[in-house]
Amino acid sequence: MFQPETGELTGGCQCGAVRFHAKRLGRASICHCRMCQKAFGGFYGPLVTAFGVTWTRGQPAWFQSSNKVRRGFCAQCGTPLAYDFGASAIELAIGAFDNPELAPPTIQVNPDDKLSYTDGLVSLPTRQPGDNAKADEFLIDVVSYQHPDHDTEHWPPAAGFAGSVP
Amino acid sequence: MSESWSGGCQCGAVRYRFSRKPTGAHICHCRMCQKAFGGFYAPLVGARLEYFEVTRGDIAIFSSSDLVERGFCRECGTPLTFAYKGGRGVSVSIGSLDHPEEFPPIDQHGVEGRLPFVNDLGHLPDLPTTEDEDPDTAKSIRLSNHQHPDYDTAEWPLRGQ
Repeated sequence: MFQPETGELTGGCQCGAVRFHAKRLGRASICHCRMCQKAFGGFYGPLVTAFGVTWTRGQPAWFQSSNKVRRGFCAQCGTPLAYDFGASAIELAIGAFDNPELAPPTIQVNPDDKLSYTDGLVSLPTRQPGDNAKADEFLIDVVSYQHPDHDTEHWPPAAGFAGSVP
Repeated sequence: MSESWSGGCQCGAVRYRFSRKPTGAHICHCRMCQKAFGGFYAPLVGARLEYFEVTRGDIAIFSSSDLVERGFCRECGTPLTFAYKGGRGVSVSIGSLDHPEEFPPIDQHGVEGRLPFVNDLGHLPDLPTTEDEDPDTAKSIRLSNHQHPDYDTAEWPLRGQ
């Protein structure tokens, strides 16, 4: 059983409308099944069993993906948040944690559906800052509206963002 | 019918189609893509707007910064699109395409945010499939699967579902 010595087990969606807290974490996994792929829009579902989860701001919306499972997400920004199969603990999306490094996966689930290129991603060339002037120029004046990676009293900030809000 | 590349969200409320094969498949490790996808990185592939069409429903938008709009399904949450405001193109999440296997990523972006364990995921032990390990549960899920199939449908959800 994984239990970090330090680090708050908090997280939430990209826009910050939904925030959660977990008391402790169990097994972290990646699930290659086609339902996890589609729910996450990705190559697999990165999920960690979470015990004692409380929704500390807002509530997730739920999509019943089958009779056994419902999937939680933020209705305001779409971030996939939770996988609930009716057990005493639910599973949370690892990338939604403020510190995803607290939940390194230890197992791969449903490998039959694994996309053929998934294991080769590590060998892909990487684009570093400085490699692409246009991309660097784009990033210079980005003002992020993403919720920060820690709990906040109020969100969005009362004073607004540093940039212009559309 | 001319060739097209379709996809959509998990529940099927939103469906889209490209009339030209999207290109530039990549994964982006930046923290904004991680959080938007609830995952380790965003897998994206794109085309110019004139080749992209929403064929069912509409895409909800979260403006993650002044420069970028991220689209998702408001009914089931599936992350669907990434587009620069005022830009000429749109990218979609590769996992939302009906045939993600046709879009192997060619490079990695936002590597400053790459999580330290990501490069080792391929070496993790495999669990048996749900079909092998728990056939009853697998059957029950299959028979009650509410996920939209990986092709366009005339009507969705199916009557009686």
